[in-house]
Amino acid sequence: MKSIIELKNLHKVYATGTHALKGINLEVKEGEFCILLGLSGSGKSTLLRCLNRLIEPTSGDIYIDGIDVVAAKGKKLRYIRRKIAMIFQQFNLIKNLSSLTNVLTGKLGYSTLIHSLTFPQHKNDMKTALENLRRVGLKEFAENKTRNLSGGQQQRVAIARALMQNPKVILADEPVASLDPATADSVMRYLGELNKKDNMTVICSLHFLSLARKYGTRVVALKDGKIVFDGTPREIDEKKFKEIYGEDAEEVKIR
Amino acid sequence: MKKENKLKSGLQAILTDLLFWIYIFGCVFFLINHWFEKVIPSSFVVIFGIAVGLITFILGLSAGRKIFLPTIRTANKWHKSFWGWSVFLILFITFVVGWNMVEVDLYKLFTKFQNAGGIMSGIFNPNMDILIVCLTALAETIYLALLATIFAIPFAFILSFFAARNLMPKTFIGNTVYIIIRTIATLFRSIEAIVWAIIFSVWVGIGPFAGMLALMIHSIASLTKLYSEQIENIDSGPVEAIKATGASTLQIWIFAVVPQIISPYLAFTIYRWDINVRMATIVGFVGGGGIGLLLLQQQQLLRWQNVGVIIWLIAAVVWIMDMVSAKVREKLQEM
Ligand SMILES: Nc1ncnc2c1ncn2[C@@H]1O[C@H](COP(=O)(O)OP(=O)(O)OP(=O)(O)O)[C@@H](O)[C@H]1O
Ligand SMILES: [Mg+2]
Repeated sequence: MKSIIELKNLHKVYATGTHALKGINLEVKEGEFCILLGLSGSGKSTLLRCLNRLIEPTSGDIYIDGIDVVAAKGKKLRYIRRKIAMIFQQFNLIKNLSSLTNVLTGKLGYSTLIHSLTFPQHKNDMKTALENLRRVGLKEFAENKTRNLSGGQQQRVAIARALMQNPKVILADEPVASLDPATADSVMRYLGELNKKDNMTVICSLHFLSLARKYGTRVVALKDGKIVFDGTPREIDEKKFKEIYGEDAEEVKIR
Repeated sequence: MKKENKLKSGLQAILTDLLFWIYIFGCVFFLINHWFEKVIPSSFVVIFGIAVGLITFILGLSAGRKIFLPTIRTANKWHKSFWGWSVFLILFITFVVGWNMVEVDLYKLFTKFQNAGGIMSGIFNPNMDILIVCLTALAETIYLALLATIFAIPFAFILSFFAARNLMPKTFIGNTVYIIIRTIATLFRSIEAIVWAIIFSVWVGIGPFAGMLALMIHSIASLTKLYSEQIENIDSGPVEAIKATGASTLQIWIFAVVPQIISPYLAFTIYRWDINVRMATIVGFVGGGGIGLLLLQQQQLLRWQNVGVIIWLIAAVVWIMDMVSAKVREKLQEM
């Protein structure tokens, strides 16, 4: 299969001097559901944010769908970003706007300023937005301000916003870390569906091995800014687990 | 590093002590001059101040040492409490000097009430014949405050984005723009509206227009500051999320920043209008038109009954504005 993401010797040194990524080499194939594991501070968020340049990498190369992401500027960067949707732990919706408007913002990368200011006049966009809300089971909540939605519902609105981008890649940074186990699983199910049905490539950081085993087709583990494991979820046994999380770690079972 | 810090604290301590004692001697000599009409050369103040300051510093008794070099201990008890006494002395002498400088005179306050009889009886017997004239002037004041606020909004709104640290890129240009706008806003805000009114009353002539311009300039400056601080307090999450969709900078501002700031902006703006109405009366005094100007004229003509009407009207308007703006802001908070 074709590879969609390629990282070559990627480094990130923050202004504070923290060397968060120390030479990451990674190739992700189209259609993979790649789980990022690693202790807090191992560099998962940093890696994900470098991929769409929310953070500037210090050195190294990033290619997504064959396009050089590091070199991109201005319009070109925007065009790359709109093909890469991002899901956040804190949902990052605009709380005092409706679900529908939040979903429509997923279209901003495709719209001129005037167009984006007149979204309600554009039947196509409205239809797609409602369709995406329906897909995540929130059609009745279209007019509700997202502030009043539950965490799980908010994350589903965020997924609908991501869908609006019609992305090739979805980056999810601990998408279920603020949700209860049952809700977490249902949100992961939507991501799994996008991966299987829509053939979107997903890179998702997680803290739960059980979810990684259930949804991931591949697991990449980071430790101290370096990749320490790369394989299938089934390959992670007790020993590997301790390598990733340290000697004292015990796997917490969450089902 | 440590040594440098010690040197810095030492310098701060000794400087504090010198200024401390120069100030005390300055006060003492002011009082001698005030009470005994003896002029003491100012060089004495400096010499005495430096001398005592140095002595207390070297002996380790001083307040400066206590503040900046607290780790250095002195032996006996009297030494330990000396700095406390010197602080007490400086507070006491400041109070005495203040009392004399502002010519506090309780005798006058309690025995000369009849001097204010005219204005007092005027307030309680307002001359209702001039009510219409006063209301016209009052309307002028309210409208000039309103226009000043409305005209200030677009300027402040746009400027506030460029004066928000989190929105300006951390490049040379970004920083320069930020610093320039912030500095000018601070500078303009620190010049009181009354000063602007004096400038504009010469520029465009005495009247409400001058008052409006004065309040507008002041409002732009202070709204820019308030607005931009609001922007700096927004949640950066949505900004990142919208950026990640491929939105342009302007789209990011409109979709991720504006919704987060709109209701505090409205609250600030209404509060500003409230302030502007109060200021408009004062600005009127120095040529800004409206009810302030009328008050000044009537006061100079000693028409106390007319002054009475004006005072009641101003009080009523300020009271109403205060209530309305508090109510509206409360409602906005709930949104
Ligand atoms: N903006 C920043 N400035 C400076 N250092 C940072 C910044 N963001 C992250 N770091 C540092 O970089 C390292 C990696 O952080 P990162 O957030 O990528 O870890 P993570 O694996 O996502 O952790 P978590 O599981 O807690 O989210 C940490 O040491 C962190 O302190
Ligand atoms: Mg993280």
